[in-house]
Amino acid sequence: MTEPQDPKRSRRKTDASPLTSDLAARIAKARGERQVAEGHPSPAGRGNMSAMNRGIRLGSEFVAAILVGWGIGYLLDQVLGTSPWLMLVMLMVGFAAGVLNVVRSAAQMNRAAPPPPASDTVPDDDDDAEG
Amino acid sequence: MADPNKVDPIHQFQISNIVSFGDGGISFTNSALFMVLTVGVIAAYLILSTQKRSLVPNRVQLVSEMLYEFVAKMVSDSAGTAGMKFFPFVFSLFMFVLVGNMFGMVPLFFTFTSHIIVTFALAMLVFVVVIAYGFIKNGPKFLKLFVPSGVPGYVLPIVVPIEVVSFLSRPISLSVRLFANILAGHITLKVFAGFIVTLGGLGFLGWLGALLPLVMTVAITALEFLVAALQAYVFAVLTSMYINDAIHPSH
Repeated sequence: MTEPQDPKRSRRKTDASPLTSDLAARIAKARGERQVAEGHPSPAGRGNMSAMNRGIRLGSEFVAAILVGWGIGYLLDQVLGTSPWLMLVMLMVGFAAGVLNVVRSAAQMNRAAPPPPASDTVPDDDDDAEG
Repeated sequence: MADPNKVDPIHQFQISNIVSFGDGGISFTNSALFMVLTVGVIAAYLILSTQKRSLVPNRVQLVSEMLYEFVAKMVSDSAGTAGMKFFPFVFSLFMFVLVGNMFGMVPLFFTFTSHIIVTFALAMLVFVVVIAYGFIKNGPKFLKLFVPSGVPGYVLPIVVPIEVVSFLSRPISLSVRLFANILAGHITLKVFAGFIVTLGGLGFLGWLGALLPLVMTVAITALEFLVAALQAYVFAVLTSMYINDAIHPSH
């Protein structure tokens, strides 16, 4: 498939030259092909694991934003003596930020792993209505 | 700790002083020892394996080169070529977390990434670097990160606090994710391994029943190796994404 490379080619470790990055891509491609060829349950296995990873990531981003919002509100309350109002407001803001975090990471995960072209996804008009 | 038969899954995370310096409470702990070991192993491996610089790498050198190319690709994919000046930073973080996690999988070794103060310190390092570089590179324009483009002015009082909180939540989620994964994994492993001993105390039927947790322990060990590598990867990927935000602050 790929033409044999000249073994004398220079290999500099100081920069990711196009030659070596291309090599990594080819290795990754060949590895993926080999996995399919060996009949590994690669989509299921990897999909499963990355699904767990995705879940943990989204969950932690959501919770972290709420905690930070609550923390900021609580500290401001202590300083300004307005307990508990700022805490309540910032808790809501943190909730919104958590949703924002989740939406952002989900969008970015979708961009990183687009569905295969043959998959039966229902195209909606609202998918890319607002860029 | 009095009863040796009692399973104590938390004991493995205890910090103990090895050498204490003065009365200030500063001491060289087992956690610090394994951090030093981690750094030592990384440095020794990378230096020794790439010493020959052969054009056709042997296996040892190949591993170093693959690690290098893996992280280099990750950084340039998420932060572009401008982000490559942070490659040493991301590579150090990745190797530190990866080798630290892997050390934790060795029996009797201490896992320093299972302490939130360690992961939080790493996350704060990333956070401070991102903020500092963002302001140095972009000046006040870095604050545009908190003002999404195309938002009408009257909703800005609501949107900006949300964006600020979202930004501030990054070091928390970054550190909690790593620490929680490693901590939960080690506790699960210990609990299941403890079941084997406890069931074994019941005699023959107990040993028969202990087969189940034994299988689970083996499976979870494999899973933990995966989690250890994956969490190092996630940490490094998110770091390079945050660095990308510092370089290009507008969404």
